[in-house]
Amino acid sequence: MDFEGKTAVVTGGARGIGRGIALELAQRGSNVVIADMDGDAARDVVAEIKAGGTQSYFCETDVTQQWSTDDMVEVAIEEFGQLDVLVNNAGVGGAPGFTTRKVPTVEDWQATFDVNVFGIVNATQSVESYMVERGYGKIVNIASIAGRGGRPGFATYGASKAAAINVSQAWAYKLAPHGVNVNTVCPGLIWTPLWESIGEWRSSTDQQSSGLTPRQIFQRTVAESVPLGREQTVEDVGKAVAFLASDRARSITGQALNVDGGIRQN
Amino acid sequence: MVTGGATGIGRAIALKLADKGASVMIADINEEAAEKTAAEVRDISGNSATFVTDVTNVAACEGLAQATIENLGSADFLVNNAGVAGSAGWQSRSHSTEEDWKQTYQVNVIGMSNVTSVFKPQMTKRRSGRIVNLASIAGREGRPSLAHYSASKAAVISLTQSTALELARFNITVNAICPGLLWTPMWEQVGDRYAHDNPAFKGMNPREVFDSMIAERIPMQKEQTPEDIADTVAFFVSDDAKNITGQALNVDGGFFMR
Repeated sequence: MDFEGKTAVVTGGARGIGRGIALELAQRGSNVVIADMDGDAARDVVAEIKAGGTQSYFCETDVTQQWSTDDMVEVAIEEFGQLDVLVNNAGVGGAPGFTTRKVPTVEDWQATFDVNVFGIVNATQSVESYMVERGYGKIVNIASIAGRGGRPGFATYGASKAAAINVSQAWAYKLAPHGVNVNTVCPGLIWTPLWESIGEWRSSTDQQSSGLTPRQIFQRTVAESVPLGREQTVEDVGKAVAFLASDRARSITGQALNVDGGIRQN
Repeated sequence: MVTGGATGIGRAIALKLADKGASVMIADINEEAAEKTAAEVRDISGNSATFVTDVTNVAACEGLAQATIENLGSADFLVNNAGVAGSAGWQSRSHSTEEDWKQTYQVNVIGMSNVTSVFKPQMTKRRSGRIVNLASIAGREGRPSLAHYSASKAAVISLTQSTALELARFNITVNAICPGLLWTPMWEQVGDRYAHDNPAFKGMNPREVFDSMIAERIPMQKEQTPEDIADTVAFFVSDDAKNITGQALNVDGGFFMR
């Protein structure tokens, strides 16, 4: 198994894609720290991982605060003796209530960049000196195909995810001589709590979508835009992360891999 | 089925897929080397066959598809790896000739299309299949030297994208891998060429040119290996990548970041 005896931290690991990543890494032998703000959901994932036979630990983390990600890294090393993999997955679609606003406010822009961009920067800054000193580390950042090209409607999110890809490249360059790989996964259409809120937002702000449930809007989007004709899953993203975080991908760094059924080519 | 599977990157891919349990058809123009690799595959997974194939010859490709079915059953995975960097003697010329352009396009692009075409029916019929095309980081950006090779590899990426869209509805994924700097017989020739036509490399032997390229251009500061490429092929053909298609992934130590 790729991650026997290894330790991973997954930010936003309590729900959605983060949970899928955490479970996938655990299945491949990793101990996993669930770094999240939502303690109840995180503890469920911790229990699920432990039932599968590896260790897991919840660390209450706010990725927008450097002190908090410092603490997260310290806790992981203290609990499990080492930290091999950091998955920066935590993300938001806007400030609370963004699904009801047709035009994003300055608070929406700020919240999106605080979590989706500075969250990656904070956690990476917290772990980089440890990984460099050890001469080993894998960082995988979760962006989105929304970050691959601007689109009207959800510019806040798309811009933050484009920034996430760029930030990944910057750290990939910086850490490459030190045995640390930094890569990005760009998920396509995945039915998660975040997409549910995007669906709500479209339903309340977009005429063509009014009267449809978020799930119906999601399914219509899948049918219209995915060449492979099916939605992607959190497991798909977990497996791509597992590949990029493994030694099988030892010579891959600075790349962003779309897991999107062919929606966007790269 | 691996084209150019007898030596170099293709051989590493064949052995890796065998290691994961696959039977492997080795298609190569070099029969003796193909037999040798097939024997290695048999030692690992138990089953292999060879077919002498010039990918520029449509009839030979049709024979290959038929031989694959007869010897090993329908192909689940197709790895288009065969490639050249020019026509005979290209490495000692300072400029690309028309023959260099024709030969790289014949093998790298049209040959890939030929092989894909003859394997399509097997895959569409079963509504499953994985195709992995070997491009190159040379196809990601123009370069002052070896324009014919770079252009052919850019065409490979484009061909990958078109094929991915064409075959998606049959549950067939098509992806490309762009290897970075690998010390192969082809790179030995590239080094020769650079030492001739680039003042920065004057007087160097090919390996010195290679090492200085790594030092200057590869953020990870090391060369890539056939094994690196084979591991990525194994990922793309596995169930883990079932929802990834139309992508080109650089395995290049960070040379180009996309």
